[in-house]
Amino acid sequence: MSTKSRIVRTLAVLAGASMALTACGGGGTADSSSGAKDGGTVTYWSMWKVGEAQQKVLASAIADFEKETGNKVDVQWQGRTNTKKIIPALNTNNVPDIIDGSNANLDIALGSTGQALPMTDAYNTEIDGKKLSELIPAKFAAVSNIKGKDGQPWMVPYSLTSDGIWFNAEKSPDLVTNPPASWDDFISLLDKEKAAGQTPIAADGDIAGYNAYWFVSSLIHSEGPGSFNKIATDKTGASWDSPAVLDAAKKVQQLVDGKYLIDGYNASKWPAQQQAWATGGADLLFNGSWIPTETGTYAAPGFKYASFAFPSVASQPSMARADFTGFAIPKNAKNPAIAQKLAAFLMNKKNQDDMGTVAKVLPVRADAAISPELTAVKKNIDDAKEIYLGNDGVSAPGYLEKNFNPTDDLLFLGKIDAGEFVSKMKAETIAYWKAQG
Amino acid sequence: MSASTLKRTRRNPAPATKSEQGRGGSSIERQRRKLLVPFVGPAFLFYTVLFIVPSIAAVWISLNEWAGSGPMTFVGFKNYVKVFQDPLFVKSFGNTLLLLFVVGAAIFILAFAMTLVLRDMAAKKIARNVIFFPHLINALVFGILAGFIFNPGGMVNSLLKPLGVTEPPAWLAQDNIFPLIMATMVLTTTGYFTTIIMAGVDRIPPYFYEDCALAGATALQRLRYVILPLTWDVFGTCAVLWTISSVKIFEIIWVFGGSSGAGLPPTQTWSVAVYTYVTAFSGMSTPAYGAATASAIISLALVTVLVVLLRRAMRRDAIEF
Repeated sequence: MSTKSRIVRTLAVLAGASMALTACGGGGTADSSSGAKDGGTVTYWSMWKVGEAQQKVLASAIADFEKETGNKVDVQWQGRTNTKKIIPALNTNNVPDIIDGSNANLDIALGSTGQALPMTDAYNTEIDGKKLSELIPAKFAAVSNIKGKDGQPWMVPYSLTSDGIWFNAEKSPDLVTNPPASWDDFISLLDKEKAAGQTPIAADGDIAGYNAYWFVSSLIHSEGPGSFNKIATDKTGASWDSPAVLDAAKKVQQLVDGKYLIDGYNASKWPAQQQAWATGGADLLFNGSWIPTETGTYAAPGFKYASFAFPSVASQPSMARADFTGFAIPKNAKNPAIAQKLAAFLMNKKNQDDMGTVAKVLPVRADAAISPELTAVKKNIDDAKEIYLGNDGVSAPGYLEKNFNPTDDLLFLGKIDAGEFVSKMKAETIAYWKAQG
Repeated sequence: MSASTLKRTRRNPAPATKSEQGRGGSSIERQRRKLLVPFVGPAFLFYTVLFIVPSIAAVWISLNEWAGSGPMTFVGFKNYVKVFQDPLFVKSFGNTLLLLFVVGAAIFILAFAMTLVLRDMAAKKIARNVIFFPHLINALVFGILAGFIFNPGGMVNSLLKPLGVTEPPAWLAQDNIFPLIMATMVLTTTGYFTTIIMAGVDRIPPYFYEDCALAGATALQRLRYVILPLTWDVFGTCAVLWTISSVKIFEIIWVFGGSSGAGLPPTQTWSVAVYTYVTAFSGMSTPAYGAATASAIISLALVTVLVVLLRRAMRRDAIEF
């Protein structure tokens, strides 16, 4: 055989191989569209993984949707990384028709860059005899960062998370009926517990986000929603000089100086301290509304979950933190109409009840059922005149991760005092915005 | 047989071959040249598409401000200036250098010390496997183990209690995590390089050792005059491998602090790789792809410079034996 024919043969083999590879790729797409004969197919990238309670609720709701509408939903249970994966995917053809995530994550991935479709159709859909826009409490919609530049919301929230100061109602039943009404009340409660030989507060100090709850909540409760966002985005840094900011930091320092926090909170790995709390090692835990499900598996027998809200300040209206989890549709989705329908369908009463009672999260619809552990949190949200987002909706690139959280850690872990914290944060904020240009 | 015979045959090929090459190469050579394109072509193509093009794209992205999707704004070298002015990047860069040089030095000192011991040891095969073992374990395991061992109610403190230590150190305090990570890196990587260097040492013909024994050389002299010169190329390769992998150290830091990956590790422990990841993918704020790729390009430049310098510094005439 001549050399020439050998080369030709080699090339032919290579060409054949690459064609086989292409065929494999093509096969996949052909498969996913072949089931579309009754209606359309939507691709859904879910933030839940197979086996999670929310996944089970959504999977059964999606099955109902397919049966009722004849549309097909191609679900990928990706887990929380879905909102990270979508960012590079937006530059390709492989874009899901619908995706869910927390408002903070979706805002970063789609909302703030104008890559999300307005969900107007979903909000106008009638569910259980009412328009969806009427079913979602107006104060939730008022939270600015789920609205695009055109004023239309780009997200349909289906559940929310909030926070509370958690305790065991079996051990401290009086806290259910008579929670501390102010910060001073709260401190005297801590003193009382300490005097009784108990550890007042558990905290996993290695989670910067949890540490930040204390300062951010103190500030927002005394200065109102938006106050933390204001000092974070003040390019001059001058707002950090406000006495109210120092006061909020002093409250955090008070917790450290008063030795109210569990031993070793500054040198442990999550979830060591919330485990200690759930097994009776400390009385209180300031954490999210997911605590009953997250600590449920290892809580002491007979543990009865209850919570009270972060102490309010008399001069301020009632307020509650809410972070939404919901659906959004990328601008270049192929099947946005069905995706809007799906988002609306998942908001019917049955699915919202399942969210509350089966997945044990807080549903968005005010009339949905909830699990008893979340009663106080739900009441706090229902009563709240104002809603604020976690970290007050601060999303400037890297500000929380690189500037605020590390400095706040120093304060909460007792390495600097309130005054040092404020002057350091002022300098960090000025440097940050200077670098942003 | 002597080493010089081997040397001569390798360096001076048979004269017949030489004359054929003069006439345009042997038939084997010609065949080889013709097959170059079909065989190297696809690999080159894949390499270009999967590595070179993305690298060039990364350089381009690093000159822009970009949230990962949506509009890109060209900003020139602003991202690089921004990154270098960020004290946190400087700190992360310092940590990367600590990992590279301090951990690297510890690893190679230990690895050579072990090759001295392991050569003459009884049951050396088992010992080698035991040393290599930590390298097989996923970094996540060490992250979780650290909690078990060093938590306030963990193993170490439980063991110290009966000894009368009532106020043990705060093992997992933010400032202590990086030294712990360095120690873990030494533990997991030493075995890997010991194995490679041992393979080099095993190639050394036994009569050199017999010579040493006859001359009354100590173990250190044996290392200095026999083992080091004869494994120099192996050691050089290991040094390059370590340089490349140390600049990329990420997952051990990610899982060691910040709840085994559920949150961010404390900034005291960040390496450049962690800094890059957080800048692009923290999920807590708008991604800054421009700054993240700038930081990635800087570490690529660091690796390139260090590897070139290392190759220069380590260059010796290969000793063949």
